[in-house]
Amino acid sequence: MAHYLVNVDGREYEVEIEYRQEGYRLMINGESRSVQNHILGQTRRMMLIDGDAHEIDVRSHGYENRKTIFMHGKEIPVEIEDYNLAQLRKTAGMKSGKEVEKVLKAPMPGLVLEVKVAAGDRIAKGQPLIIIEAMKMENVIKAPADVVIKATPVGSGNSVEKGDPLLEFE
Amino acid sequence: MSQKINKILIANRGEIAVRVIRACRDLGIKSVAVFSECDATAYHVRVADEAYPIGPSPSKESYLVHDKIIDAARKSGADAIHPGYGFLSENAEFAQRCQDEGIIFIGPKSKTIALLGDKLQARAAALEAGLPVVPGATIEQDNVDKAIEEAEKVGYPILIKAAAGGGGKGMRVVENRDQFAEGLQRAASEAQSAFGDGRVFIERFLKRPRHIEIQILCDQHGNYLHLGERECSIQRRHQKVIEESPSPVMTPELRERMGTAAVNIARQTDYIGAGTVEFMVSQDLEFFFLEVNTRLQVEHPVTEMVTGLDLVQEQIAIAENRPLSLKQEDIAFSGHAVECRIYAEDPQNGFVPSTGTLRNYRLPAGPGVRVDSGVVIFNDIPIFYDPMIAKLVTWGEDRDQAIRRMQRALREYRVSGLETTIGFHQVVLDNEKFRAGDISTSFLAEEYPDNNYSQFSERLAESAAIAAALDKFTNERKIADINGGTNSPSKWKVTHRKAGLRNYGGTF
Repeated sequence: MAHYLVNVDGREYEVEIEYRQEGYRLMINGESRSVQNHILGQTRRMMLIDGDAHEIDVRSHGYENRKTIFMHGKEIPVEIEDYNLAQLRKTAGMKSGKEVEKVLKAPMPGLVLEVKVAAGDRIAKGQPLIIIEAMKMENVIKAPADVVIKATPVGSGNSVEKGDPLLEFE
Repeated sequence: MSQKINKILIANRGEIAVRVIRACRDLGIKSVAVFSECDATAYHVRVADEAYPIGPSPSKESYLVHDKIIDAARKSGADAIHPGYGFLSENAEFAQRCQDEGIIFIGPKSKTIALLGDKLQARAAALEAGLPVVPGATIEQDNVDKAIEEAEKVGYPILIKAAAGGGGKGMRVVENRDQFAEGLQRAASEAQSAFGDGRVFIERFLKRPRHIEIQILCDQHGNYLHLGERECSIQRRHQKVIEESPSPVMTPELRERMGTAAVNIARQTDYIGAGTVEFMVSQDLEFFFLEVNTRLQVEHPVTEMVTGLDLVQEQIAIAENRPLSLKQEDIAFSGHAVECRIYAEDPQNGFVPSTGTLRNYRLPAGPGVRVDSGVVIFNDIPIFYDPMIAKLVTWGEDRDQAIRRMQRALREYRVSGLETTIGFHQVVLDNEKFRAGDISTSFLAEEYPDNNYSQFSERLAESAAIAAALDKFTNERKIADINGGTNSPSKWKVTHRKAGLRNYGGTF
């Protein structure tokens, strides 16, 4: 049996799953659901939930707990963790994986035009950090939250690949 | 004297190259593709009759090199070049070169492209042809204090635009005097990098305007037509993402006035071919000339869907020096068409381009659905070009039906391996203001200030939670396929089938 805590855009769901010879037994927030699950490939599922049909693509973004569920033409971000671990984490007063990453990575390959911050700067959420030119557009990368800059590993004029570290936060 | 075209070289890539090749095939004209290194197996190459390599992947070393395109035309014996949009489509020098080489350039004359490509000259031409223009001024860029003075006269908010601009590049909105100097510098540097021309000018920035454009067709015999409007107000970073025809605010009377204005500037500039006259329309339906795009537009299919015409075939007929077969009174509009541009971009992350390999690619179909796609499964989406991978267009008896069909098509459209704008479109189409036609070019910025395009019902959230849990459960237990019941195939079999599929991209 598996027991998960799933967070969908602020809504919490406790999901219990058991696999038996005759099929899945699934409970969500204490209510039972009849589920059929067909695996159509590495990322695609066909699910029937109490008869409702859902074709699902599961996308990963390099984080173990965070996925995007693509269904009905919509992108739905979810965060999933083991239920007991989540309870322990909450008791310890820790935040889930939602805290800001310590390293800002290049979202696309491009040329760094301008680094607008220096180590030690305190930057409010939404303020411009760095400007990257890609596909002939200037893309302003803004602070994802209130942050303090720890280091600026790239300077203007440098080319970066997707995923290269651009800035480090405290 | 008309001159039959037998073979067309398409100096472009992606969906527009495919679009033009389709028109060629429909007309029995041979098509020639050109391709850069990374495009060797691209879809436009696969569907063409002939294809020629034109060098390294960066467009400056391939698709933009005049000599290479002309060489390929010579080698293939093409008698005409269709430039598509972007790349060389609005390059007056290239159009002239084609003419000098005795190759038909499918587009306006070089001098018309040059005139209309310069926004300052275009504005002057519009004034001369009696079109209303937005208050604005030219500025001395080296003298910032003087420029600020000019800006005061025009009045804030101000839009700084590249003189050689297009596609939203080199454009900045400046709300007040304090922001002016920085905005000017940024716009000029972006203009320099995008167009090799750092000249900019300023215009009054209209609050919540609509972007409505008129499609024109002009032959070489003095006949001018307009094919009605396209509403292109849904924009991000000044680039269109959803277009439709007719505009929800259009009346026959306004269409008549805007259409006449469009035809007037076409006459004024000796226009030949298909073109688009763009207008800004204020909340009280006053319209102002913006610019003329001297080429086929990305969003031309919505006009095709409501008029029943094939604009590429019309372009070719005009290039063959045939007179237009239709008169203005023959143009009738039927139903409503909507286009959603499918970009390889991450809307949640400020629409940054997303590159990678299409692990899975399934197109929607069914009544009223048209997909102009430039890619196929397992294509790599390169970083070198515009990230638009396809245009999804639907037609309906009315706006509601067209939108419902679009929602259906977006639901069927599946792309894996890349982020796309599919989910973004689905959220916008659900928006009540959008459904009511209450839109402007500020719509996305106003409705989704944090780029938060994840909106969905409670029920869908619960289903997503179940999906995530089942996904984790089966992955952790390496369960290949369990559907319940006793008829499940052997797990050895499904595991190996799954492994086999992985070699071919994983999903079906």
